Amino acid sequence: MGYQWHFGVVWDNLPFLLAGLEDTVALTVVSMGFGLTLGLAIALIRLKFPRVRPAIVIYVETFRTTPLLVQLIWIYDVLPAIGLRFDPFWSAILALTLNLGAYLSEIFRAGITSIPMGQTHAGLALGMSTAQVARVIVLPQAVRRIIPPLASMWVGLFKDTSLASAIAVAELSYRANVLAVQTYRPVEILTVVAAIYFVLTYPQARLTYWISNLVRVRE
Amino acid sequence: MGPEILKISDVYKQFDTHVVLRGVTLTVHRGEVVAVIGPSGSGKSTLLRCVNGLERIDSGDIWVSGDHITSAGADMPRIRRKIGMVFQHFNLFPHMSVVRNVAVGPMTVLRKPRAEAYELARRLLDRVGLAGKENAAPYQLSGGQQQRVAIARALAMDPSLILFDEPTSALDPELVNEVLLTMRELARQGMTMIVVTHEISFAEQVASRVVMFDEGKIVEDGTPREVLKYPRQERTQTFLKQLEHVIEP
Repeated sequence: MGYQWHFGVVWDNLPFLLAGLEDTVALTVVSMGFGLTLGLAIALIRLKFPRVRPAIVIYVETFRTTPLLVQLIWIYDVLPAIGLRFDPFWSAILALTLNLGAYLSEIFRAGITSIPMGQTHAGLALGMSTAQVARVIVLPQAVRRIIPPLASMWVGLFKDTSLASAIAVAELSYRANVLAVQTYRPVEILTVVAAIYFVLTYPQARLTYWISNLVRVRE
Repeated sequence: MGPEILKISDVYKQFDTHVVLRGVTLTVHRGEVVAVIGPSGSGKSTLLRCVNGLERIDSGDIWVSGDHITSAGADMPRIRRKIGMVFQHFNLFPHMSVVRNVAVGPMTVLRKPRAEAYELARRLLDRVGLAGKENAAPYQLSGGQQQRVAIARALAMDPSLILFDEPTSALDPELVNEVLLTMRELARQGMTMIVVTHEISFAEQVASRVVMFDEGKIVEDGTPREVLKYPRQERTQTFLKQLEHVIEP
């Protein structure tokens, strides 16, 4: 006898499940916003002040060489021991931001340093200030090169927010687990949840591909 | 002779332990076209880059139109406006159209309105024979065309001096001439130019003066006829002979 599928259970609880998307989207948007700011700041500091490089390397490598799940739990469970207590949502934002910041700083740095010095020299030779060279010549080219990896970070982040369920953030995956335990129908529920992630992620992936082609600079 | 545009006095420059410039002294007057020749690595390009402050000199003095550019407080962005530079590898801005490459200097540095800067850019592109290419992207142009855009870009700042750093060295042989013709036209119109080049025929036909560089020093300085036809230094003679591409058994 095969397994009897009962999707009715999912259907009945769909509003509860979909309400989790609010946190999924909020986690993605807020931590990407903070992560971009942090990543750009770190990249610029590293390029401008070589002396703080060791500190930055320690931060970047720590967050790139440990699992995001461990970082999440660590921030949620260990920081209160030193008097820093955040609710689950903001703990998740903090962990995702620090993790993203580490990756994004490397992406920004690579993007900026990949622009040949000749471009800077051509700008300076016209009489531009270094700030004008950065704003008009280097950053616009760097941003175009950065957008494709940035876009795939975005798609990765959207899915990685599911890890926040480990510290009880009531996003999509967390609600799926709650329902699965309550209804004893994990197969149906997780199938539908996977489908929801797919339906939401696939267009984003296509969109990022399209944007990447749009901004590509040929030389 | 016109007034002094550039005065270089006893300039030294070294990279780590390698001394590139060993006491270079050179004065250029308005309307002169100075061809700088000499072996690779003799410091010709470095000298050009010191003139617009892309490289810092270790000692000596450089004045451009009377401004002492090697003093600590020199306002380099303002001084560079008056010094055009054309690079060996063009260095066009790949994220901008051809017309914007030419207009971006006046727009960003001189704060000219966009319409005015574009109008100027179109005129200059026409002048270098590139009318109709305004909206092309740099990569769509041949090397010779790209270098002519770079010349128009330099002209857009209305410079009193243009530095050419081996402008035809990166070009396929059949594209060299169109760039040299553009430069000859500029010279004819009275532009003051310093051209680091291996094109001896250009030095012969267009330059008003030829300077021979060797091991970080000027070893010969005179009219094209003096330096190229009747060189007094043995190093100049040897160098010119090497350029003749004679394959001896």
